[in-house]
Amino acid sequence: MPGRAPKRISDMERNTTSNDRYVAPSGSAASVGSPRDVVLRVDRLGFAYTPGRFAIRNLEFEVGRGEVFGLLGRNGAGKTTTVRVLTTLLPPTEGTAYLFGKDLRRCGRSERARMGVVLQAESLDFVSVERNLTLYAFLWGVPREVAKSRAEEMLALFELEEVRERKPWGLSGGERRRFQVARELMHEMELLFLDEPTVGLDALTRRRILDYLAGRARRGLSIVFTTHILQEADQLCHRIGVLQNGRLRAHGPPAEIKRRYRGARTVEAEFERALSNVQQHDLLATLTREGRGFVPTAVDAGVIAFRADNAEDLVAQISRWAHAIDVDVVRISVREATLEEAFVNLVSEDPAADSAGRSELA
Amino acid sequence: MKLPPVVRLVVRNFAANLDPITLLVMFGQPAFLIAILGTMFNQLIPTVGASGSYIAFLVPGMIASQMITGAVLSGRVFWLDRRWAMVEQIFSGPYLRAEYLAALLLTALLFSLVGVGIMVLVALPLVGLPALSLFELGAILGTIALGSLFFGGLLIALGGRIRSANLYFTIQSLLQYFLIFISTVYYPVSSRTPEVLRAIVYANPLTYAANTVRDAFTNRFGSGDLLAGAVLASLAAVAFGLAIASFRRLELGPVQ
Repeated sequence: MPGRAPKRISDMERNTTSNDRYVAPSGSAASVGSPRDVVLRVDRLGFAYTPGRFAIRNLEFEVGRGEVFGLLGRNGAGKTTTVRVLTTLLPPTEGTAYLFGKDLRRCGRSERARMGVVLQAESLDFVSVERNLTLYAFLWGVPREVAKSRAEEMLALFELEEVRERKPWGLSGGERRRFQVARELMHEMELLFLDEPTVGLDALTRRRILDYLAGRARRGLSIVFTTHILQEADQLCHRIGVLQNGRLRAHGPPAEIKRRYRGARTVEAEFERALSNVQQHDLLATLTREGRGFVPTAVDAGVIAFRADNAEDLVAQISRWAHAIDVDVVRISVREATLEEAFVNLVSEDPAADSAGRSELA
Repeated sequence: MKLPPVVRLVVRNFAANLDPITLLVMFGQPAFLIAILGTMFNQLIPTVGASGSYIAFLVPGMIASQMITGAVLSGRVFWLDRRWAMVEQIFSGPYLRAEYLAALLLTALLFSLVGVGIMVLVALPLVGLPALSLFELGAILGTIALGSLFFGGLLIALGGRIRSANLYFTIQSLLQYFLIFISTVYYPVSSRTPEVLRAIVYANPLTYAANTVRDAFTNRFGSGDLLAGAVLASLAAVAFGLAIASFRRLELGPVQ
């Protein structure tokens, strides 16, 4: 029955929940290519805690001005070691990195003065939250009046006003983490390293902090960010790098990582009326006859769902079948792979399959 | 005006980490000892060598012991910085390790001088103001400075190697009591002192410092004190070297 199907297909909605990012990835990633915009270039960087046993090796990536770069990886993948080497706390064993164009091995006070670091280990002084902020600002040479007003801003932004007089070790885990980030933002910087800054934070606070960081990135702050929460990396980062066993398995924009490692997507079809058992059987038989690469995941009278390698083909097949038996399709959705799915697919692969130990996507 | 990095770190060392109770105990205890121990023993001990009264003997010893108090407080700052990851935070900022070490040693010295000031204030009503020449005053301050460097360097070197708070504070307490009690801070050494004990007392750098301060107080500063100063300076240089070595090999990361 020609003439009916297009109307129904045009009603198809695509669930694109993973695309509601804070900062559009396009544009900024392109700006990274210009050498004068690169604030951090990592060149075959490696570090071994004991001779021959590398915690990280052959890392190569760049971070541009105003870019947010996320480092993802399982526990022990090498994220924290990478941050510690890049912040000059550990000397590289091999390779190097260039901070603001200067070899990491020769970086000193002037380079470190241009960056901020929120380490995974909580650090504090034995004074009140507010005094910690102003004292830290004092260490960074921030003028007293500026420090005072910035402390007020940070206390409000990170919802620490009520605990300003308390000692940081008496705060809850989430408050202490907010305090760590707030304190680091007391001084000016061009590059900020954040090692799992949102651990233990509730969703609302996490979003607020990510919003703020995204805003700072838009104003030119470069951020290197490690996290276990892949959704926030997807939201915040212009580019991400996936570490596995100390090697950078992949790096590029989240969309690219998802596209390349997404695996099967979920196709869900909802019909105007419940399908009979015979119709369900017929649909599955038709799809099996016409192609492979899909797995039914939910079949009931009104909705049927598949995981499909080629979602577009499957959508077309379902539409044709429905058109042929004169059943209206109310909705067909294709749910894009999440970064978490791509990450799981990526780190589940055999790392030896990638001979270089990394894959360039950018 | 932007202060030099070492000064900023010293100000921060004073402002952070040290709670008033700790300071009260650290400086209050020797002040209490001068006031109570000195007064009580003064009744029992009629004269002690050139000092005259026991309390006049005790005061210079307690002043010299302030170099240990300063070193202990500075070592405490360092240990707490390690424990609460502030060492890493500072090293990842606009500071050199050498500046942080210098700031710790300067902190030890300043705490020692604060302690000296408190001891003098407590002792004044009891023993009066000693008639010191500028040279003798300089000798006292120089001795305190060298002693602070020595003990400060030693505790910082230890603090950089030990990864357990229990072990560090146990060693520090033992060292503190051993050095103070097996020295001439509280009592003189005479021919009646057992030989082994006398050898240990004379090997203790705090003895040199206590004797030098005491000699300056009684206007008997001489070549022996100059030699003691030279030994103290050499020991301070060694402790400084140990602290540098400890800092070079300092393992950053969590400590218990």
